[in-house]
Amino acid sequence: MKKVILVLACVLFLVSGVQGSSLASDVVVGAVTPLTGKLAVYGQGFQQAMLLALDEVNASGGINGKDMKISFEDNNSTSKGSVSAIQKLITINRFSVIFGPAASSNFLAVCPIAQQNSTILIGAESAAASISKCGSYVFRVFPSDLLQGRGVAELVEYLGYKKLVLTYVNNDWGVGLAEVFKKYFKKAGGTLIDEFAYDEGKTDYRSEVLRIQKDSPKAVVNLTYVKEGATMLKEAYEMGLKVQWIMGSAAKSPKLIALAGKAAEGVIGTYPTFSQNTPQYTAYKEGWAAKYPGKKLPIFGAYNYDMVKLTAKALAAAKSMSADDIREALIQVSKGYMGATGNKTFDANGDVGATYGRWTVRAGDIEDYK
Amino acid sequence: MIYYLQLGLNGIIAGSTYAMFAVGLTMVYGVFRFINFAHGELIAYGAYLTLLWSQPPFSLPLYLAILPALAITAAIGLAQDRWIFHPLRNSKPITLLIGSIGLSYFLRNGIRIIWGSDLMSYGLESTRGMRFAGLTVTTVQVLMVASAVFFLGLLYVILTRTLLGKSLRAVSDNPELAGVMGINMKKVRLTVWTLASVFAGFGGILLALDTNLEPTMGLTNLIKAFAAVLLGGAGNVWGALFGGLFIGIAENISVAFFSPGYKDFISFSVIILVLLFRPKGIFGILEGVR
Repeated sequence: MKKVILVLACVLFLVSGVQGSSLASDVVVGAVTPLTGKLAVYGQGFQQAMLLALDEVNASGGINGKDMKISFEDNNSTSKGSVSAIQKLITINRFSVIFGPAASSNFLAVCPIAQQNSTILIGAESAAASISKCGSYVFRVFPSDLLQGRGVAELVEYLGYKKLVLTYVNNDWGVGLAEVFKKYFKKAGGTLIDEFAYDEGKTDYRSEVLRIQKDSPKAVVNLTYVKEGATMLKEAYEMGLKVQWIMGSAAKSPKLIALAGKAAEGVIGTYPTFSQNTPQYTAYKEGWAAKYPGKKLPIFGAYNYDMVKLTAKALAAAKSMSADDIREALIQVSKGYMGATGNKTFDANGDVGATYGRWTVRAGDIEDYK
Repeated sequence: MIYYLQLGLNGIIAGSTYAMFAVGLTMVYGVFRFINFAHGELIAYGAYLTLLWSQPPFSLPLYLAILPALAITAAIGLAQDRWIFHPLRNSKPITLLIGSIGLSYFLRNGIRIIWGSDLMSYGLESTRGMRFAGLTVTTVQVLMVASAVFFLGLLYVILTRTLLGKSLRAVSDNPELAGVMGINMKKVRLTVWTLASVFAGFGGILLALDTNLEPTMGLTNLIKAFAAVLLGGAGNVWGALFGGLFIGIAENISVAFFSPGYKDFISFSVIILVLLFRPKGIFGILEGVR
């Protein structure tokens, strides 16, 4: 019996080894993706968008004739999980390029590791302003919060609210975004009646809503995600709180309306926008509909799609598969690169620019706010 | 003032659900002498199975979907005992504990495989809560407190007025002696697991009605229930009831003084403080009163 187990263990070990290193003829890129845990709500969508881009890359010849592959590593939506996942991808799989995890806290946890190991790390949905300082090997195709925090402050000014309650998710993303918002809001002469952070991932936010209700504000800026935002909207509605909710881009999803129903009516928010009339975006949308019929476009899906396509382009252009050569190529090919989400030219910090649009919920649909 | 009253009311509502979870957890501890970490999963399965029966192909109305859902939840509870805890009954408590942790992972990931990790809801339209004297409650919240009162009342009757309840208490006092006295252990086992599962499952359904469904909903509430069990003294049913209410009220009132983001620290502080100063629960003196 012992022998059988030993043999089995050996076979398993070999099989996992082969899978990790993959075939020599493939170009493999690592990805730390939240497939379980609280961010799994989004993670499956990210993965599907990446796989869609991958299919297209391979259908049009791959990387100089070789197939491109993504080796996904789950991070359980935690920073701890992200760190162990990236350590595996760097030390065992020895990938030169890794797609970083969603949620700024998780991304910030892994970016020093990638930088130290001279491994390229690319993010498609992490917005924290501090990511710009991660280092020369870290890139993101998603705009920094510096831009969004300012966008929300401008929206508030436009709507004419001078006094409001500010609340946000208690993590690197929420706190960072709130800081930037506060700076611009106060500069424009606004005052905060109350300000507090709340935990993400809870199923009940009545106490938070109650705290907002206590001050009877006219408007609330809530920098939140879909799940948290929807739960709060629903509970605020039930408790009879009538305020103008102002949110960021992370809450802009049909799922918000599916979960909160009519309580989501009238929410106004900002989002990094890009023209949806470009051929690139149409190609993404049509590709998605063909590969996943009947499934709605996922939040940040287009960014993940662009990330994979841009990386594929860089891999094809790179002199060798060393991280330094790929990094060089990535900067070069990004110049003027138009993806589904617009211009993806990296600046000196590995960041991209953005314009901000405004969204609102009207009659159960997300529309542009005018 | 209204603010504090509303906080207190929210606390009672949350606490009554915690109490339903805690009572089941503590009953299992009382009879089998281990904390079942998979208890939280019974909460989640109650909620998810109701979702299953209320959707196509079954499409039962929600109030009917609850029945098969609770029946299956109870079956899961009994299966836990039949295939894991009963075979392990003579092992060290740590073995049972680890077994239950493993089982909880197994069941939780089962939810992810079947229903996905996505947040779900029963899709009921949200309605404005009822208002009286400046306080707001929703219909579901009234239902939560009412069912807690009903189920705990039912438990009281079973424990004090029936032979089954008496044997249950006897076993929890001294299993060997109870066995020697000819108490049917199998019947007690079945009763405890069924009650614990139904309590957890029904609480889970109410919780999902009130908020949403997600695979980790059981785990989050297990911690609250665990704190309540410790507070009331492990194995003490009425202690757990009190503990649940206390945790619910304490964490909601705390919102007035701390950022709501730190609300959960209440249950953890309770766990630590009780373990440090009153390992037998605050009803330690009354040990034996069950």
